[in-house]
Amino acid sequence: MDKIIEVRGLSKSYGTVQAVKNIDFYVETGKLFAFLGPNGAGKTTTINIICTLLDQDKGDVVLDGCALGRDNQKIRDRIGIVFQESVLDPLLTVKENLLTRGSIYGLSAKVVEANAAKAMKVTMIEDLALRRYGTLSGGQRRRTDIARALIHRPKILFLDEPTTGLDPQTRKSVWNMIEELRREEGMTIFLTTHYMEEAEKADYVIVIDDGEIAARGTPAELKDKYSTDALEIKPIDRSKALNTLKDAGIACSEQADLILVTLSSTVDALPILALLEGNIASFQVLNGTMDDAFIGITGKEIRA
Amino acid sequence: MILSLLKRNLRVYFRDRATVFFSMLGVIIIIGLYLMFLGVSIAGFGAAAGENARFMMDSWIMGGVIAAASITTAMGAFGTMVDDTQKKIIRDFEASPVRRWQLVLAYVLSSIIIGIIMTVFTFLLAEVYILINGGALVSLWSLIKLLGLVILSVSASSALVFFVTTFLKTANAFSTVSTILGTIVGFLTGAYIPIGLLPDPVQAVIRIFPVSHSAVLFRKIMIAEAVDLDLIGAGVRTDLGIDFAYGTTIMPVWGHILILLATAVVFFGLSVVVIANRKHKK
Repeated sequence: MDKIIEVRGLSKSYGTVQAVKNIDFYVETGKLFAFLGPNGAGKTTTINIICTLLDQDKGDVVLDGCALGRDNQKIRDRIGIVFQESVLDPLLTVKENLLTRGSIYGLSAKVVEANAAKAMKVTMIEDLALRRYGTLSGGQRRRTDIARALIHRPKILFLDEPTTGLDPQTRKSVWNMIEELRREEGMTIFLTTHYMEEAEKADYVIVIDDGEIAARGTPAELKDKYSTDALEIKPIDRSKALNTLKDAGIACSEQADLILVTLSSTVDALPILALLEGNIASFQVLNGTMDDAFIGITGKEIRA
Repeated sequence: MILSLLKRNLRVYFRDRATVFFSMLGVIIIIGLYLMFLGVSIAGFGAAAGENARFMMDSWIMGGVIAAASITTAMGAFGTMVDDTQKKIIRDFEASPVRRWQLVLAYVLSSIIIGIIMTVFTFLLAEVYILINGGALVSLWSLIKLLGLVILSVSASSALVFFVTTFLKTANAFSTVSTILGTIVGFLTGAYIPIGLLPDPVQAVIRIFPVSHSAVLFRKIMIAEAVDLDLIGAGVRTDLGIDFAYGTTIMPVWGHILILLATAVVFFGLSVVVIANRKHKK
């Protein structure tokens, strides 16, 4: 297990507001790592600190063997960032943008040219090369932003809410591209998101809330630990079913014409179903979702 | 790296036609006013040049126009820096191995280069205008002096506007200041109204602005193409701002050059101090 990013005791305040409160975590090489949390939780602040854009108040960060603060130049060579807002020049073409940004890494023109060709291929924007960035659609821009982040062939790709503001279809295609990058290029990907379904696809998730790490683990672990399964029954005779459950001492809740029973595991549904046999019009057993886990962890619905 | 940034800044500036137009707006206003009525009202000043009167006065107005162009275009070029900061484009550079001083130097150099290109362009248009109205092109030696002066004037102007721009955070503030500059630059260079016709305190204020000194030098070189400066009466020379007189002393050419050089050095210095003292990471 190789740690490509290691963060210890990181803190950052803006005036009296503590944005990041003494957090520790690490990211393994080649993994897709997600920082999940509501807006204002401290995700962007943490990314900005790791990316040398913001000075931390306290704490150490080591990125690929380079210490933040001492080896910032080396760190900058190793990271590619896709910012929330676009940072490319709207009046320049896609290719011009890639070449100008590529040329500030001290690489030869030839290498930059080759890298740009590769980046455009990976992000599937080759046919947009001569279009001005400002005339592109949201999804095309995002792809170009990612191509820009890849231009110097970084070891780690940071994506700060890469799919926010995109329509569902575009979001999906951008997401597929991110997964492909990790698979094909073996790149370490660090992303922040407030979309559950995205966090679900990560190798490892850290839930951050109010500047603190609220939970961590693989999506499956988080769901196991923080979300519950449920049995949803549509009874034939509603009051009879409720009485049966009450007599058996099984807690339940009602939702429209459904009866919900919270389960600690899906197999616990079997005896309950047996109990109600003959009085069930239909039923389904629901697995916990990341949404539930998130609510379980932070005690609140995600604030988009 | 600086070269790449320069190339990028120049591209971003020249590709935005509106920016280019607006950085020339002050100049366009001066020429427009001159064509419409200023030209008539000041024609009398050209008497000393005899049949070259028109040539002389065209050269006079163009001297002021070129000086004005040197500062408004240098300012326009800094729009890229303000935009980059406001739109957070600058973070992309800050997260790359480019050093902060390289980034800032690239903005300043692009302002100087853009200023020179646009001022030389203005000069060429001015020559065409003078030629069409029966004047003549400047001699080779004057051309060389003028080019040197363009570089000096743009550098001083660039330093001055760079200093001002370090305090401007938003594109809005920047365009407001640019508009004000474009409007008053005609007065500052003594192009709307011959400087000698203004009250003494106003003249004193104008002389504080370095760009008025480059206007004096542009006029000296360009008007000399039309008429021997010695043939113009001393009073007319100071009225038209071909000479700056302090009491009975006339400021020598090297005095003007010194003021421009000092402006460049002092204001670049001050800007560096401001930027260095600013915590660039908020």
